[in-house]
Amino acid sequence: MSMTTAKTDEVVEEQAAPSTPSDQRERDRMRRRLARRRGGGWWPYAFLAPWFIGLFGLTIYPMLDSLYLSFTNFDLLTPAQWVGMDNYNKMFTDDPVFWDSVHATLLYVVVSVPLKLALALGVAMLLNRDLKGIGLYRAAFYLPSLLGGAVAIAIVWRQVFGGDGLFNDFLAWFGIKGQDWISSPDTALYTLILLAVWQFGTPMVIFLAGLKQLPKDVYEAAAIDGASPVTRFFKITLPLLTPIVFFNVVLQIIDAFKTFTPAFVISNGSGGPLNSTMLYSLYLYKKGFTDLQMGYASALAWVLFLVIAGFTAVNFIASRYWVHYDD
Amino acid sequence: MGHQISRRTLLRTTSGIAVAGALGSALSACSGGTGAGSTTSDLTMIWWGSDDRHAAYKKALAAFQKKNSKIKIRETYSGYDGYFDKFNTNIAGGSAPDLLQMDTALVAQYARKGVLAPIDSYVGKSLDLTGFSKTLLAAGTVDGKLYGVPSGIGVNQLTVNRTGLEKLGLKLPDREWTWADLKKISQDVYKKSGGKIYGVDDGGGSTLQCFEVFAREKGETFFSDDGKKLGFTPATLQEWWEFWADMRKVNASPPPAITSAAHNDLTKNAVVIGKALFSFDSGIYGAGGSITDAQLDFLPTPQGDFSGAREGNFVNGGVLLSATKASKKVADSVKIMSFFAQDATAIKDMQLLRGIPPTEKARNLIASGLTPTDKLNMENADYISQRVGKATNALPAPVPPPQGADQIWDLLFQSNLAVAFGKKSIKGQLGEFFDQASGILGG
Repeated sequence: MSMTTAKTDEVVEEQAAPSTPSDQRERDRMRRRLARRRGGGWWPYAFLAPWFIGLFGLTIYPMLDSLYLSFTNFDLLTPAQWVGMDNYNKMFTDDPVFWDSVHATLLYVVVSVPLKLALALGVAMLLNRDLKGIGLYRAAFYLPSLLGGAVAIAIVWRQVFGGDGLFNDFLAWFGIKGQDWISSPDTALYTLILLAVWQFGTPMVIFLAGLKQLPKDVYEAAAIDGASPVTRFFKITLPLLTPIVFFNVVLQIIDAFKTFTPAFVISNGSGGPLNSTMLYSLYLYKKGFTDLQMGYASALAWVLFLVIAGFTAVNFIASRYWVHYDD
Repeated sequence: MGHQISRRTLLRTTSGIAVAGALGSALSACSGGTGAGSTTSDLTMIWWGSDDRHAAYKKALAAFQKKNSKIKIRETYSGYDGYFDKFNTNIAGGSAPDLLQMDTALVAQYARKGVLAPIDSYVGKSLDLTGFSKTLLAAGTVDGKLYGVPSGIGVNQLTVNRTGLEKLGLKLPDREWTWADLKKISQDVYKKSGGKIYGVDDGGGSTLQCFEVFAREKGETFFSDDGKKLGFTPATLQEWWEFWADMRKVNASPPPAITSAAHNDLTKNAVVIGKALFSFDSGIYGAGGSITDAQLDFLPTPQGDFSGAREGNFVNGGVLLSATKASKKVADSVKIMSFFAQDATAIKDMQLLRGIPPTEKARNLIASGLTPTDKLNMENADYISQRVGKATNALPAPVPPPQGADQIWDLLFQSNLAVAFGKKSIKGQLGEFFDQASGILGG
């Protein structure tokens, strides 16, 4: 709290400055003092300029531009024409593929995020000990995340889960005759989910960092009192870790909503079979760059933005009831 | 106490920043603007195709640059997947290529949007089109203006694994075969292979417009003449889907997982992976797999019996070479088009890689150097184009497909798949198909 107080004092002093001095000398003295405190004139802004240029040029301007485009029929090739709410109307009333993509994306998010986080936490617990060569194990478990976003892995995934892929060879050892997992509308999305879950490295590293910060004395006390490892996990580890869990949940949900590459590569850009892997970002891309409906794609992007913002807001509100900060 | 930041603040702030960053990137990725044409000094040329076609293009272009040392060409090539996505992005970003290989199915759309340069004024000067028939040039003509030079004659034909057929003790069907013959021999393939090989890949989704040929046999077109509606009736499509549902039921055609896997991926084509012997997809030629050592042969799309007796085939222009309007080097691009149309070395390099050569002269030039498979390919294409030329009851060649055509083709493919996977009934899917198609074409 002390930080906030100090800041408030300063602001009051600054605002009061012009009105209190009675003569010119007093005012100059005040100005010099303020200048000294602020670190002097324009040049902090010069240091910030590259960031500002990036923020306005590469984020805010394109965002506003896409908001404008979402009310037009922009087709990439000819000038945009205003069409009002047409794109949004069409999306909700007259576009079955839109609903296919919403269905696929929600399923993907709802299934992949909890599985991935559970796996990340489990592995982080296992790696949170002082073994010989533990660094090597940590690196090995993080590796899939470094590779996972790559196109090459998605291509490998296609081969592994294809009709005559490795996975079916593996099943054949047990006498099970597998199907073509990638080309069947009932299973294709789950191969994508599996790929997402496999890339648990980033949340795992964050969990690991969190675990390392947990106070040891609490565990010692609990052990002396005879608490079992399971009790210790649910009564100590998990509650103390909730801020980290929250951070990971928020980030992973956003990431999952925006997933594009694996869906694009594994379905060969089609979102098939039968739109079962038509993740929202893939549909957006198809509309914008293949079907030349960039206005419509922009509208799709804004709906995604609002949905993600909504999910995140709900997350932050809900966090008041389950996230425990230890201060 | 003191100025240290609490854990709570740190975590909250980090979450907030991460959220803002993650959200922002979702939106800013989706924005574009129109800009000026390419400004680099090299002439940029793009095409799609197989490795063989890439090599042939590069060889021919090297020969061109030897004769025209002032024109420096920068080549970019890829497969068909994503080719036009990238082209669209380049146009919007102001870095359009000067010269490109254009799809006859898309030329009308791009010409009408002002992306392509009309090249009529060069014809007879730097663009030598001697020997090109008028019907062939129609493939590159939109609203009376020429926007692209056709590379050759393209026809719909089936590719057959003849070696595979002979191994089963079956004979190549006659070129005047019917849909019933296709069903019969496909069933025979399944039976004689002991259930290991299906006959023909599933045509219900109309691979390479085979449904269009079928509709034309019934006197219907795929698109109406003004391009604003579909030209065929629900009854025709129903008959088509019922035919293929029956083909799958009797194992004449493979199950939908195989069809689905082959979508946009020739290396997964049923014939390439050895699961069928007949394919409607002409590109599998050279795709390797089970047909690497097999002798391929070619057949026209079947016609007759329940389809009606009209000539359904038509001739189109292979692929086109087009120049972009934003380019400052249209004159140089036209020289390259002319080179590919007439130069003996270019014609010999390209062989049949862009369709059967368009002129009599070119066909004679390559005749001696053709591989046996190429020869069979050319013979069959020749057979079809002659039959089309002689037919008295054939409909005129189709109009250039309207905007949204590729979406309709994809819808047709997905609809057939939905039926094949048992997710939809034929009747139910029929209604959806016509609803969605009119939405795509109307708006």
